Amino acid sequence: MTGSALLKARGVSRRYGWGSALVRAVDEIDLEVPAGQTLAIMGPSGCGKSTLLHLLGGLQRPTDGEIWLAEHRIDTMSERALARLRRHHIGFVFQSFHLMDELTAVENVELAALLAGQSPRRARQRALHLLDRVGLADRARHLPSALSGGQRQRVAIARALSNEPLVVLADEPTGNLDSAATLEVLRLFEELRTAGQTLVVVTHDARIAAVADRVISMRDGSFADDSRLTGTTTSGTGTVYGGWR
Amino acid sequence: MAGRLLLVCRLMVRDLRRRRTETVLLLLAISAATGTLTLGLALNNALAQPYERTRAATAGPDVVAMPGATGPEALAALAPLATAPGVTAHSGPYPMAYLMLTASGTTVPAVVQGRDNSPAALDRPAVTAGTWVHPGGIVIEPTFANALSVHIGDTVDINGHPLRVVGTAVTAARAVYPRADWRIDAGSPLTESAGLVWVDSSQIGALAGTRPLSYTLNLRYADPRASTSFTHKREGGIEYTSWTGIADADGKLVKQARLALLVGSWLLTALAVASVANIVAGRVVDQRRRVGLLKAVGAGPAMIAAVHLAEYLVIGLAAAGTGLTAGWLAAPALTSPGAGLLGSTGTHPPALRTVLAATVLALAIAAAATLAPVLRAVTTDTVHALADAATPPRRRGWRVWLSRRMPTALLIGVRINARRPRRARLVMVNTLITTTGLAALLMGLAQDPRVKLGESKLANPQSTRTLEAMFLVIVVLCVLALINAIVSTWTAVLDARHPLAVARTLGATPAQVTAGMAVAQLLPAIPGVALGVPAGIGLYLVASPGDQQYAPASWMFAVALAVLLAVAALTAIPALAATRRPVADALQSTST
Ligand SMILES: Nc1ncnc2c1ncn2[C@@H]1O[C@H](COP(=O)(O)OP(=O)(O)O)[C@@H](O)[C@H]1O
Ligand SMILES: [Mg+2]
Repeated sequence: MTGSALLKARGVSRRYGWGSALVRAVDEIDLEVPAGQTLAIMGPSGCGKSTLLHLLGGLQRPTDGEIWLAEHRIDTMSERALARLRRHHIGFVFQSFHLMDELTAVENVELAALLAGQSPRRARQRALHLLDRVGLADRARHLPSALSGGQRQRVAIARALSNEPLVVLADEPTGNLDSAATLEVLRLFEELRTAGQTLVVVTHDARIAAVADRVISMRDGSFADDSRLTGTTTSGTGTVYGGWR
Repeated sequence: MAGRLLLVCRLMVRDLRRRRTETVLLLLAISAATGTLTLGLALNNALAQPYERTRAATAGPDVVAMPGATGPEALAALAPLATAPGVTAHSGPYPMAYLMLTASGTTVPAVVQGRDNSPAALDRPAVTAGTWVHPGGIVIEPTFANALSVHIGDTVDINGHPLRVVGTAVTAARAVYPRADWRIDAGSPLTESAGLVWVDSSQIGALAGTRPLSYTLNLRYADPRASTSFTHKREGGIEYTSWTGIADADGKLVKQARLALLVGSWLLTALAVASVANIVAGRVVDQRRRVGLLKAVGAGPAMIAAVHLAEYLVIGLAAAGTGLTAGWLAAPALTSPGAGLLGSTGTHPPALRTVLAATVLALAIAAAATLAPVLRAVTTDTVHALADAATPPRRRGWRVWLSRRMPTALLIGVRINARRPRRARLVMVNTLITTTGLAALLMGLAQDPRVKLGESKLANPQSTRTLEAMFLVIVVLCVLALINAIVSTWTAVLDARHPLAVARTLGATPAQVTAGMAVAQLLPAIPGVALGVPAGIGLYLVASPGDQQYAPASWMFAVALAVLLAVAALTAIPALAATRRPVADALQSTST
């Protein structure tokens, strides 16, 4: 691909249904996300945010358009190649965590590394390190059912980071969390941004948007507004920013 | 590689442990099918060769000759046969008398053969218990002894002479009781199914009294075709029976039991597949979520298939082992005691073929019932799999319309089935197969299991064995059906929790809701039962041709009613338990 864009979508659409029941969940979207950018996508419920995120992560195929991640065109990839791409280069964080209930926190985190063929010992070391980084070193051997919502989401973030992905895609990561837990997650995202991790977050939460380099507003499957923020000092969002820190 | 292997094992072990009940039920269902198959194959093995084994062990003759004449005339007729060209060995002629035998109050005709202790060239009956004949003692063919319920040490009475039972022995020169098929001239008290006993030859004259003695001669030929070209013939006043005819007659003794087991194992396999499908269907929502999750973290199709197959492979193999062991242990109970022939099952380890067949069956059932949902899960969009929901229940317009005009319980029942037509079909298959088996058993029980011997009737080992085989199949069948009913009820209750809670907020009472659940299971059970009764009768008639007695209609009616009541009761209990929970809980627990 040309330019420095890590993630690139061109003319991407996703439609559901036919005739009068046709829904244009994502409608002819063009998007470029440079490496290291933290992008927040906002918009009312049902405007197509999740669908866009799933398309970008190869969880779903577009009806039209092209999607590129680094050098790979992903909309035409086979399931197997997509799986390989996800396990090496993409980290997902979901609203409802999607941890495996029967695995402990550390086992959940090392899942992707084991899938990628790392040795069990190295995978475990890395998983423990990541859990430490998200502040859950003492919860490594707990099952998800013994963790709070915020703790579960932090485990999920650790899992998303385990293979040093090119991009982390998060869909309403704080949607199921109370405000204290939301602050923990925000702190982590802020750290990721500082560390130069490319991050695309779909959210309702203005506080997350405040830590982003760029905020896109969506409406009815299209982008309504695309604003690049130069930093966290922008007036208007600054109070929110200061508020949660 | 090590990492992936670890992952597959870890996910398998955790999942099996988390779903202990389901795992046990799956194990039971598949074991039942493999167990029956093992039993069938073991019996087939054991029952296919005993005649040949007995023939080898007792130096059985190729052909047995018996003149219609008696006394010196019979001896004269037999004399040239022993030295005829082509005959390589002979034994006899041995004297025989057709006399009345009384044991524990029952008097039946019997064939008494006089033998001594000198070794014979052909037909040396093998003693299976006690000792061989000596003066004052009598040896009885074990199947006959069993039907008479006499034991070694008992005293029986022949033609007024008391004799002590000293042993039991088997021979290849005659088919076992009641298959001996004696052909005898009019006026004799003998019937064709009389049993065989041996006494010391010095005594037979005294036992026979005024009755004339018949004679039998055992022959062996150089040319095997001399005995395999016919089964039975009459030439020059002499009856010739070949060993192939005797082997055939012996085979008939267990033919129906084998058939019952064969048909039974088909029914059981069908039920086991239904059972496994039922259990697996209950976890499909969870499984889809798991697959979606694995896909999201980058597991490819092969990995996902491996995770699931590993689980079912382990369950299948464990079930094969359990079924093999159980079937093998149960086999001797069906062949002994008194098989009438040498050789029994359970003495050797199962044949490799049996082990293979049982393993393949177990794996096939596990794969057949689980592969489809796994494949579906692998090929669905990751997003849909992650959506945490099974396919939205289908609505059947006419049924919903119909249900508006019904009492509340019936309405709830019809709506639940309209939501899940597949489960309703499973309930039907379950009751259909169970009722078929039960109706066939009733037909079996309606037959007279005894043989008419003169004025008395004696137990017929053939019917006894067939009934034993049928009972065995039915017991396993009922256990499986019970598992099926419980599983399908529980999943139905779990699944209908939300609509039922809604129904309760709209004013339905717990009793109405419970009745509704029971109706939901009963509706598909009724056609299952209605079809199962004629199916069972038909199956029995096809499997056992000839004059058959029909079971009384009242028996069939009772069975049909019992099955339906069992279904209703099995449903009502968990449904009642579910309605005990406060409505808000039920609404809450299904909202995420
Ligand atoms: N599988 C589907 N079938 C039909 N319509 C769908 C499906 N998934 C999403 N949609 C529709 O696409 C639109 C966008 O959905 P989604 O991306 O989930 O929105 P958001 O995440 O912004 O709330 C919605 O109108 C939704 O109804
Ligand atoms: Mg969404």
